[in-house]
Amino acid sequence: MKHFSLASDAIDLARLHASLQHPGSGGFCAFEGWVRNSNEGRAVNGLEYEAYAELALAEGERVVEEAIARYGVNAAHCMHRTGNLAIGDLAVWIGVSSAHRDEAFRACRYIIDEIKHRLPIWKKEHYIDGDTAWVACAHTYREHEHEHKHGHDHAHEPAAAFVPDYSRQTRLREVGEVGQAKLAAACVLVIGAGGLGCPVLTYLAGAGVGTLGIVDGDRLDASNLHRQTLYDARDIGEPKVDLAARRIAALNPTVTVRTYADPLHAGNIVDVFEQYDLVVECTDDLGSRYLSNDATILTGTPLILASVYQYEGQLQVVTAKPGDPCLRCLWPQEPAAGVAGSCIESGVLGPVPGVLGSMQAIEALKLLLDLPRQADHALLLINLLDGTSQRLPIDAAQGCILHDGCIEAARRGLATAQATHDVDIVFGDLDAAIAAGYTLVDLREAKEVAAQPLHAPSQWIPSELIGERATELVKGPMLLICASGRRSGVAARMLCGQGMLNIHSLAGGMAALAPPHDRVVG
Amino acid sequence: MTTVTLQYYAQLREQARISGEQVSTSAASLRDLYEELRVRHGFSLSSDALKVAVNAQFSDWNRTLRDGDTIVFIPPVAGG
Repeated sequence: MKHFSLASDAIDLARLHASLQHPGSGGFCAFEGWVRNSNEGRAVNGLEYEAYAELALAEGERVVEEAIARYGVNAAHCMHRTGNLAIGDLAVWIGVSSAHRDEAFRACRYIIDEIKHRLPIWKKEHYIDGDTAWVACAHTYREHEHEHKHGHDHAHEPAAAFVPDYSRQTRLREVGEVGQAKLAAACVLVIGAGGLGCPVLTYLAGAGVGTLGIVDGDRLDASNLHRQTLYDARDIGEPKVDLAARRIAALNPTVTVRTYADPLHAGNIVDVFEQYDLVVECTDDLGSRYLSNDATILTGTPLILASVYQYEGQLQVVTAKPGDPCLRCLWPQEPAAGVAGSCIESGVLGPVPGVLGSMQAIEALKLLLDLPRQADHALLLINLLDGTSQRLPIDAAQGCILHDGCIEAARRGLATAQATHDVDIVFGDLDAAIAAGYTLVDLREAKEVAAQPLHAPSQWIPSELIGERATELVKGPMLLICASGRRSGVAARMLCGQGMLNIHSLAGGMAALAPPHDRVVG
Repeated sequence: MTTVTLQYYAQLREQARISGEQVSTSAASLRDLYEELRVRHGFSLSSDALKVAVNAQFSDWNRTLRDGDTIVFIPPVAGG
């Protein structure tokens, strides 16, 4: 739906209101302009609005879009009536929904002030004495012109007024206007908008990278604020991708931002990587790093990896060129869960990801601008406690090539990730699973089975024995079942990890099945 | 006995409670040395999960130790 509309008759406000519903909105503000019974001392019994429709629609759309960008609100609409209106009729309706009330109020005010000032809509007042007059809009006060710098990140200058000035970087001989044009044409994907992602996004947006993709499935938590410098205390609970997009729009409105509110997975990561020139991996998740590494190798999209631990960090650039080393050349397999330690478990000092993220931004700009960089490949270790760094050259000849090479390792890694991702399947009842060709494997304890039989043909292997009795499993698609889906999920992932194909877990377990009519409730 | 300088990163530094040390060891290879240290410091990671570098070059775990080597054990880290 457009942001601005003209209506020649009374319209359905409930529908307009509903169109502004947004899951990220915690505040909604509406302004209604009504026809009143007097103007400048003369009694009025009605009025007539006439609009130069094409221009009004275009300009109205612009006004609302400006308000959305200026205040970072989630949704806004303005409706202006035309034709004959009686006293008390609704002449203008503006609705704004946003994360917080302040922006909603301000955006509402901005829209009505600008509409009054800029739209080619004329008002003809009908006076009680029978006279009529076209009334000019004398209301030229614009509240937003009196807004002061109030330290609120979300209010920024209108996009149209901003002309970026990259002179401080184009002055560098190696950058110049040619380099700036390269940046403007570049698409960079940043995975993770946390401690590492914040400086990466800030510097790349500031540098004028044309398109930034942001992937993050998390909402901002108070515990993030010591290291995630894009956000502030009012943002807690909001999706980070929305907050980051808003912050980037404020920092450099010329940057196009694409957001991905769900983590990438084996099923879509290759397609997403193919849309970008460069990927910066900023998550706190080793699984994501391996997934990104594999997608990088398969798509040839360079990847900049960094990670932090307490007071230290690691940095590796994977160029994805044939013969150059990848993450698996160093650590071939993803370590078991819990081995690598996270910021949650181990703690981290805020500036540590700040330093490593800034270094990722440097590496990204070096690649995009084709700046001079070291020819060999290395893992950089930074220790910010003792101020040391070590650059360890990576010899690709000692890496994946000793096995099947990076590409084969990446293919296998992605297939395993896909199998793990596809492990959980939803079925409403077991007959549907059998009809779909699955063999049922009941992993529950004997007494659970006795209390609540499956009432369907199945193989019974208690979950603690599934590892050693895996060879007994028949070929073909298998559905592992337990009470809640927890044990079956663990077992299916373990078997997948061992290379077994077509192993699935009933999502939610027995508890999620529709109650069959013949089940004996135990 | 061989005398070598050790540097620990991330979890290893935390578990050893030092960022480096000098040790004299009779261990024949890097792998043996790590197993020795694992017992002494209670390292939770096995050598399979680590990279090792000697004198600023990644190295094979079977490499023999030489006097004066600087050895770094590097676990993968995940924070971000």
